[in-house]
Amino acid sequence: MKDTHQAQPFIQVNDLHHVYLRGTPLEVTALKGVTLEIYEGESIGIIGRTGAGKSTIVQHFNGLLRARQPGKVILEGQDMSDPSVKVKAIRQKVGLVFQHPEQQLFERLVGDDIAFGPKRLGLSREERRERVRWAMEMVGLDFERFKDRFTFSLSGGEMRKAAIAGVLALQPKVLILDESTTGVDPRGRKDLLARILELHRHHGMTLIFVSPNMEEVASMVDRVYVIDDGRTAMSGTTREIFDRPDDLRQYGLGVPQVTTIAHQLREHSLPITRTPLTVAEAAEDVWKILNS
Amino acid sequence: MTEPIIRIENVHFAYNAQSENPIVALTDINLEVMPGEYLVIVGHNGSGKSTLAKHLNALLLPTQGDVWVNGMNTKNGAHTLTIRSTVGMVFQIPDNQIVATVVEEDVAFGPANLGVPEDELRERIDWALDVVDMQNFRHRAPHLLSAGQKQRVAIAGAMALKPQVLILDESTSMLDPAGREEVLSAVRRLNQAGTTIIAITHYMHEAVEGDRIVVMEAARTVTQGSPREVFSQVEELRALQLDVPQVTELSYALHQRDETFPPNLLTVEEIVAEIIRRKELEVAT
Repeated sequence: MKDTHQAQPFIQVNDLHHVYLRGTPLEVTALKGVTLEIYEGESIGIIGRTGAGKSTIVQHFNGLLRARQPGKVILEGQDMSDPSVKVKAIRQKVGLVFQHPEQQLFERLVGDDIAFGPKRLGLSREERRERVRWAMEMVGLDFERFKDRFTFSLSGGEMRKAAIAGVLALQPKVLILDESTTGVDPRGRKDLLARILELHRHHGMTLIFVSPNMEEVASMVDRVYVIDDGRTAMSGTTREIFDRPDDLRQYGLGVPQVTTIAHQLREHSLPITRTPLTVAEAAEDVWKILNS
Repeated sequence: MTEPIIRIENVHFAYNAQSENPIVALTDINLEVMPGEYLVIVGHNGSGKSTLAKHLNALLLPTQGDVWVNGMNTKNGAHTLTIRSTVGMVFQIPDNQIVATVVEEDVAFGPANLGVPEDELRERIDWALDVVDMQNFRHRAPHLLSAGQKQRVAIAGAMALKPQVLILDESTSMLDPAGREEVLSAVRRLNQAGTTIIAITHYMHEAVEGDRIVVMEAARTVTQGSPREVFSQVEELRALQLDVPQVTELSYALHQRDETFPPNLLTVEEIVAEIIRRKELEVAT
């Protein structure tokens, strides 16, 4: 939840624009005015239809894209368009995991791959080992069993975990998952998401979660920004956002099934007061109604 | 009695079967698919779903056992072309399946290569684009379409070959909710028009669309039945760590608190109706 006594957001985006391949015949305007703010320790969902600009936004958060066009990205008080900003330091604070994180692996051995970041930070051998051990434990890869495995011999789900561990080994303050669980099967996904939630809740890691799966978003984050056609279209707490199914539909999005159930019961004048976001919440709410 | 359009008999398959370390992908698979059926295959990554699908149009041949399509054994090379025009396939990423720079040319690619005459070609394109509701985009460039639209073009391309069976291998997994709904309704229309559908998916609320669900785990089929039969086995599915639709999960949670509440409702409409029925009953008594 937003901590009101934090004066300054960790990430502040004001009226951000972005054009790819500017000045060429292939010019594409991806962002036309995005405004949002993210405070330390929050969990934020960014949702929108394919091509809305979600990935373009999050790539500004670790300096992969720089705001040189209208609009500003301020990260911990630093203007990211300032050429003197040290991108290396930023990437240590803001870890980004892409849609196909297995493509982020490049070393031969799993342990070396995860140790790559800490090594670049100049950490000692001992510190590196500890970082790698910690990161692997966090994603659920057994250190002894996996550190000397060949990266290419991992299953798809294990590759994703290894790639996420590589980002976590930098101990970033902010973890961005850009559709990183798409295509992972339910078993791998649930396990991974539970571990990431644990990092957020118990280690205070700020979480930015981009996903096309509304049920996942509903169970993972406290606040949501809806992006449509390169602009911020909606923002609010997760419950507020999913309480507006008609608006979401207009942006090509939906709501979790249990939320739809609550909306329909309300239309039949059954008094469901809060909007349930998970099956557990819905079971509680419906049970109350059945026994009132 | 109607003959099954696809018959899979005691199929085993291993990648690198001849090598020292064969990777077993299918073990003892027996399955029949009837004409007009809407079959859904669910299971984890690596459970053998896609390997099985690739056996149905002779992209892969069984290491042991037989696959029959319309009575033709896929091992008989003389039948390969006929089998591939009987069973069409749409993959996960539409971009890998789209070949032309204009939508209607892409849809025409398959039948034109089979030498379908001009007049009939036009008819097929019209029909295929109609089914997927993409008539208005026929002169557009595919790379400028949304992912859902591209996937519908890929389906139209497969349908222009007039296959009797259409296989969708996780064809909705890269799409946003609106794109997924577009593709699903196109598939529903195809099935109603008589095309046999075999859909592979991770999304359990999509599996509910099917007449029959087959669950695969570790190279075997572990359970099958109507969506209601399969999703009634909430505990078994959980043991396999497969999802059940949220509606079914809720219905099961309420059943655990009150045994008279049905444990296996599948759709939002069903569960809302059940809750309302119970409230009205309460008022009446």
